[in-house]
Amino acid sequence: MHRSRIEYRERYKLKDSLLAVGFVVPSLFGFLVFFAVPLLRGIAISFTDWDLLGSAKYIGLDNYKNLFADSEFWNALFVTFQYVLWNIPIQTVLAMVIALVMKAIKSSSLIRGALIIPWLLPNVVAALLALAILDPAIGIVNEGIKALGFHPLNFLSTTQLAMPSIAGINTWKFMGYTALIIFAGLQGIPSEVEEAALIDGATGFTAFRKITLPLLRPVLAFVLVTSVIGSFQVYDTVAIATRGGPVNATWVMNFFIFKNAFEGYRMGYATAASMLLFILLVGIGFLQVRLMRADESD
Amino acid sequence: MLRQLRCLMVPLAMLGMLAAGSLFAEPVTIKYILWDANQLPAYQKVADNFMAKNPDIKVTIDQAGWNDYWTSLQTSMVGGTAPDVFTDHLAKVTDFASKGQLVDLAPYVKRDKIDTSIYLPGLADLWTKDGKRYGLPKDWDTIAVVVNKDIQKEAGVTDAELANLTWNPKDGGTFQKVLAQLTLDKNGNNGLSPNFDPKNVVRYGMEIQHSDDRGQSQFSCLALSTGWSYTDGTFKSNYHFDDPRFIQTISWMLNMTQKGFICPYEVTALSNSTLFPAKKAGSTLDGSWMIGYYANSVDFPVAFVQTPIGPVGRKSMTNGLADSIWVGSKHKEEAWKWVKYLASAEAETTVGTFGVVFPAVKAGVDNALAAYKAKNMNVTAFTDLATGKNTTFVYPVLDNGVKVSEIMVQAFDTIFLGKGEVAATLKAANAKVNALFK
Amino acid sequence: MTNARRASKLPFIIVTVALLFVTLFPIYWVLRMSFTLNKQIYSGAATLLPVQPTMSNYMRVLGLIDSVTAVKLGGSGQKINFFRFLFNSVLVSTIVTFAQVLFSAAGAYAFARLRFPGRNKLFGLYISALMVPSIVMMIPNFILMKDLGWLNTYMGIMAPALLMTPYAVFFLRQFFLGINRELEEAAYIDGAGKLKIFLKIIVPISSSSLATLAVITFIGQWNDYMWPLIVGKDEKVRLLTVALGVFRSQTPQGNPDWGGLMAGTTLAIIPTLILFIIFGKKIVNSINFSGFR
Repeated sequence: MHRSRIEYRERYKLKDSLLAVGFVVPSLFGFLVFFAVPLLRGIAISFTDWDLLGSAKYIGLDNYKNLFADSEFWNALFVTFQYVLWNIPIQTVLAMVIALVMKAIKSSSLIRGALIIPWLLPNVVAALLALAILDPAIGIVNEGIKALGFHPLNFLSTTQLAMPSIAGINTWKFMGYTALIIFAGLQGIPSEVEEAALIDGATGFTAFRKITLPLLRPVLAFVLVTSVIGSFQVYDTVAIATRGGPVNATWVMNFFIFKNAFEGYRMGYATAASMLLFILLVGIGFLQVRLMRADESD
Repeated sequence: MLRQLRCLMVPLAMLGMLAAGSLFAEPVTIKYILWDANQLPAYQKVADNFMAKNPDIKVTIDQAGWNDYWTSLQTSMVGGTAPDVFTDHLAKVTDFASKGQLVDLAPYVKRDKIDTSIYLPGLADLWTKDGKRYGLPKDWDTIAVVVNKDIQKEAGVTDAELANLTWNPKDGGTFQKVLAQLTLDKNGNNGLSPNFDPKNVVRYGMEIQHSDDRGQSQFSCLALSTGWSYTDGTFKSNYHFDDPRFIQTISWMLNMTQKGFICPYEVTALSNSTLFPAKKAGSTLDGSWMIGYYANSVDFPVAFVQTPIGPVGRKSMTNGLADSIWVGSKHKEEAWKWVKYLASAEAETTVGTFGVVFPAVKAGVDNALAAYKAKNMNVTAFTDLATGKNTTFVYPVLDNGVKVSEIMVQAFDTIFLGKGEVAATLKAANAKVNALFK
Repeated sequence: MTNARRASKLPFIIVTVALLFVTLFPIYWVLRMSFTLNKQIYSGAATLLPVQPTMSNYMRVLGLIDSVTAVKLGGSGQKINFFRFLFNSVLVSTIVTFAQVLFSAAGAYAFARLRFPGRNKLFGLYISALMVPSIVMMIPNFILMKDLGWLNTYMGIMAPALLMTPYAVFFLRQFFLGINRELEEAAYIDGAGKLKIFLKIIVPISSSSLATLAVITFIGQWNDYMWPLIVGKDEKVRLLTVALGVFRSQTPQGNPDWGGLMAGTTLAIIPTLILFIIFGKKIVNSINFSGFR
């Protein structure tokens, strides 16, 4: 009987590995063909001078050298950091609040649906809508501000307010969606755990901090990692609402990259900048995962 | 009888095969794209006429809006699926030409003996470079002052005053006076009144969009009327944004925003007029391609008035479009037939009758005028400038267009947002621009 | 209800109402603009209700008005094949959602629970792909589609997202990690194989996160713009979001066709809204999950 149990376990190990192969292969294939290989091609492009229409000329590290010397590149980086710092904390906190509201209103999926609607708007439309609503002269928001007796605010047309306004637009658009993910995570916390905590005397905020948050850790890690990554890649809103201006107050990295690639005919240069952005994001991403110990579950 | 019938068999069979062959012959399909959807009906008619004359060629027209047009055109060139013929713009033609994406039309023009004198003077040459030709002109546009007639009446500005606006960078001439008259503050004082409050303007005299290097609907008519020019010549690249006349023009404009007669930068929307359609500005500057917009999308009557007479006269920037053939087209001969037809007097006058653009052939201008008149629009302000003596000016056709634009947009942002002094900012920007061409 | 409890409910209500207002007011504005004539978009901008409500924008978008009248209303006179574009979007989004969730779930489970050599390194690679700016992969993928002859086909639009995205795998793996191991171990001891555990235990328990991912994937695919723009230009396969571009300004410095754009947007949101309402119940209904039983 002893021997057969060992055999049983070893057969299981083999079955395990075969199963793993079956589970992993489809996504692995997709990953290799549509992510890994294009990424490698992209890296190759970053070492060339390519205008998209002709053939690419190998120029070694010149693109990278020129980037480091390009004040526009550093400005784009700086501006993008500003955006992330405006966007992520506010968006995440609001998303958490919305998720808790969603959980509390179990009975009304209507309200839940309502909170999600901004996310359903295409990016382009949301940006155009923002231009209309926030217009300094005829926007409805400023009409409201004037009615309250204050001076209208030039949201998107002054260097001080442009970036916070862009961050505000995207927060409005994505806080519902982020809340949805956190809400799904809240669903996964068994109600017995919370009831047990209540019985033990923990109230509201303490229970939230000591019980709910830690159990949410893997989901929160996911939310923060993906939001930060998405945040660094903001593009549509800027391209439509401010075009990188006023002056260069909202000239974010992706805008710098797209402009160089498609209007400047410098695909190699743009790809090199993307590579640098990528390295930055990898660093930040792994730092986050490490800090939040997202690999473990409690 | 049978023998005679048998004689007919072979020729009949051959006829049959010929007939079957032409029945089954694939018509050559030419793909054509343009960006202005307002012009689609006009060009569809032209295509229908063309296809009636050329039954073995099929033309399909596709449209992509301005924002996506160039990106998707470029990617389609990369992907090898670019259209055979596409509407080209002077700002982009040099780029495509230098990257070998355009077919040189000069040999075709020579072979088919195309007469380029049917177009308004100067237009045809814009599309040539180093002896090669990349397009034949199909339309042109000019700039005019657009006035809200209701506001004009309320402010007491006469038509005669509007028809004879004078301007100079020192005191702004009658142009400045009219702008002041059209401006209104919260208390009902207009800009000429001593009690006018520039901090509480409810209606500006004029709305001007944010400027770029061209300033087509912004500074161009004023700056050019001082005798200034962007560079040394249409194909020459020595920019003069640091010229005293240009600096004076921009300073005058800045002064007007500070006085409240022209709306300040912070208040204009990024890329289109908002104050003028909202009746919060009495006038604006705009191009003839927007005539349809003013006809259909504002709820007050407008008048088009010629640009002010400056120190050397009236000026308007003019631009024109042409159609180019992609070098990767598999049917260059048929594509040329289509381009040739598009550039012909017949096609352009047809387009003219739709009243959406001014065709490049001289004969088509009258058609267009009549078409607009039928829609109750007097557009002589645009056409007079086009046919006048020395009144039009073309922006230089050069490389580095995108970068030049970026530099100047940021320079104007800096100036008009009060973050930099006019002369110093323009001098620095000009140096940067000229450094691109070294 | 005691006074104390009622008082503690008040901030909650205020917060909810404030959130709803901020979230929904701009949406109301979309509706308002969709019922406004283009002529009055600017001149009548300061009022909460449209000055002269009209259905003409919707009729234009659905192609029910002839082009001459459409131009007079401030439109472009171009014929819009609304239902074709709607069909394309529904088709593409549905297929991608189904396939992506299926294959990504399998992959995510492997990363969360199965042991195999190189597991963590491979997962690290997946996450790194998450951080690559999209333009890097856009052009090489575009060239790949061209080489495969998939340009301007449904396959070309769907291919990159069909089997997985790093996002989907990451998402599900985090959720699978959070599932109570005791359940699986109990089943394991009872003799169930990993496959059975996956199908009979993990999937039902994760139905809320699977449903959430499905909704996210569907909407992401629905609103995708850049890729379908360059790969699916042909009218036969054009997606709705790309087609809405016809309402943006046609000329440099021109005004958007606000009425048409907002009407088109409202119509474009309806399918995704319906989807969310249907799936929304699914996301909630797993409340009865209990990991301890």
